[in-house]
Amino acid sequence: MKIDREEARRIAGLAHLELDDAALVRMADEMTKILTYIDQLREVDVEGFEEHAESAGTPFREDEPRPSLDRALAERNAPSWNDGFFVVPKVIGGE
Amino acid sequence: MSDVLELPWHEARQQVSPREYRDACLAAIASRDPQLHAFLHVNRDADGDGLPIAIKDNIVTTDMPTTCASRILGEFVSPFDATVIARLRRRGAAVMGKTNLDEFAMGSSTEHSAFGPTRNPWDPNCVAGGSSGGSAAAVAARMVPAALGSETGGSVRQPAALCGVVGVKPTYGRVSRWGLVAFASGLDQIGIVTKTVREAAEVLGVIAGHDEMDSTSSTHPVDDYAADLDAGVRGLRFGVVREAVEQLTGEVRENFDAAIATLRGAGAVVEEASVPTIGYAIAVYYIVANAEASANLSRFDGIRYGRRSPQARTLDEVYSDSRGEGFGAEVKRRIMLGTFALSSGYYDAYYGRAQKVRARLRHDFAQAFAKFDFLITPTTPEPAFPIGAKTDDPLSMYLSDIFTAPANLVGVPAIAVPSGFSKSGLPLSLQITAPHFGERAMFRAAAAYERETEYWRKSPIPT
Repeated sequence: MKIDREEARRIAGLAHLELDDAALVRMADEMTKILTYIDQLREVDVEGFEEHAESAGTPFREDEPRPSLDRALAERNAPSWNDGFFVVPKVIGGE
Repeated sequence: MSDVLELPWHEARQQVSPREYRDACLAAIASRDPQLHAFLHVNRDADGDGLPIAIKDNIVTTDMPTTCASRILGEFVSPFDATVIARLRRRGAAVMGKTNLDEFAMGSSTEHSAFGPTRNPWDPNCVAGGSSGGSAAAVAARMVPAALGSETGGSVRQPAALCGVVGVKPTYGRVSRWGLVAFASGLDQIGIVTKTVREAAEVLGVIAGHDEMDSTSSTHPVDDYAADLDAGVRGLRFGVVREAVEQLTGEVRENFDAAIATLRGAGAVVEEASVPTIGYAIAVYYIVANAEASANLSRFDGIRYGRRSPQARTLDEVYSDSRGEGFGAEVKRRIMLGTFALSSGYYDAYYGRAQKVRARLRHDFAQAFAKFDFLITPTTPEPAFPIGAKTDDPLSMYLSDIFTAPANLVGVPAIAVPSGFSKSGLPLSLQITAPHFGERAMFRAAAAYERETEYWRKSPIPT
């Protein structure tokens, strides 16, 4: 599988990763090499095998209300915080 | 005073007080770690009169930062302890510090740490392995008797092998992952590094068990993992995985053949086993693990915790710039590969196909375990490699996990046990894999092999 710079740019956009042109070229090259190795999976006979693994089932607990994370503790790690809220740049009505 | 650090914990604690032992650990860290860089944070005030233990820095603790060896987490300090930490503390363990790793546990050498590599205690020009390289080096260099790591494709067993210590990956779901920063949720499992098999069995007994905070943690009863350590291997059946070992040459081959002879000498039955798809494990792993990582690491967005790019002016830039600046090259590469494998038009050909091959691999392991109690291979295809040897070739780095990744994909437990040394004096390792929840028997087999060989007694620390 060949990945070119434009394909790398499209994937970086999906992944929310800012990469400059030089980084995109290098990334495309490395991804091509790795995916070429991964392409050997095409030769495996997987007839009769399903994509989704069998599972022992999820153990559930009672759905009871309980305290959640204290706001003061959340604030301690937040890069920008005001009056109980995480702050982000204006999304609506900007520019 | 530091002689006590050469002993297993259960012997050392008979000889010195807990306080004296902790002080010996701190003194060893102060003198050895400047060269090795196993620790990212040392807890000089660690208390608790039980086992002193170091913790890989992707497991959260309230009294120390958690960095995941990434710039993106900034000064993050968790508001809660991981379940494994809470269980250890309840049993009196002293949490001595946080250990170095490849950023977000993505790597096989600890060279992808944002804070610089960990060096191998047997040869500081070589890597310690990874991603739990700090935990393995800390135990190998006798700075702590035990450490926790995490496994997604061999990240405990591979560095344990390269550093000459015991490394355990329990069954998927055996240990709660609440508080382990998620890499690939369908594979991740917390593991253990110690000098001896007994110490590892005892630590597993403390941290294993269901936890309602992790719905993937199993309700399967916790065993007495140390109960059969002296029972030996007479009559037990070990399968040598033909497809994994047929390419082996040189001293790794000779070492593995010697391990087979040792097991036979102890009364074990060792015969050829077949797992036809085992050679595809790395290809499957790098699709499945990276796909899950691309989703898990979307939580690092520069908003709720960690570092936000100072140049971001719009919300999109908060995401893209914070992540572009905060993640290292290997993490970006994996997020890119995972995003690609899940993207429209490629999902069936990559992620879907990898999961089907994984299902076949699981089937092949089940067939092999119908005939054998254990499967064995070397833990790694080669001993520790020089720092820098593989950093420009991601694929060759990935292939260091060729013997370890299958257990993660299948979900079974496996242990790395020291099996001797290369001609240049670097550790080699035997891997014993057991069926799901077969840890008790796995520790029995590993302890029997350890008793015959006692390689753990050799120390990299000059006396």
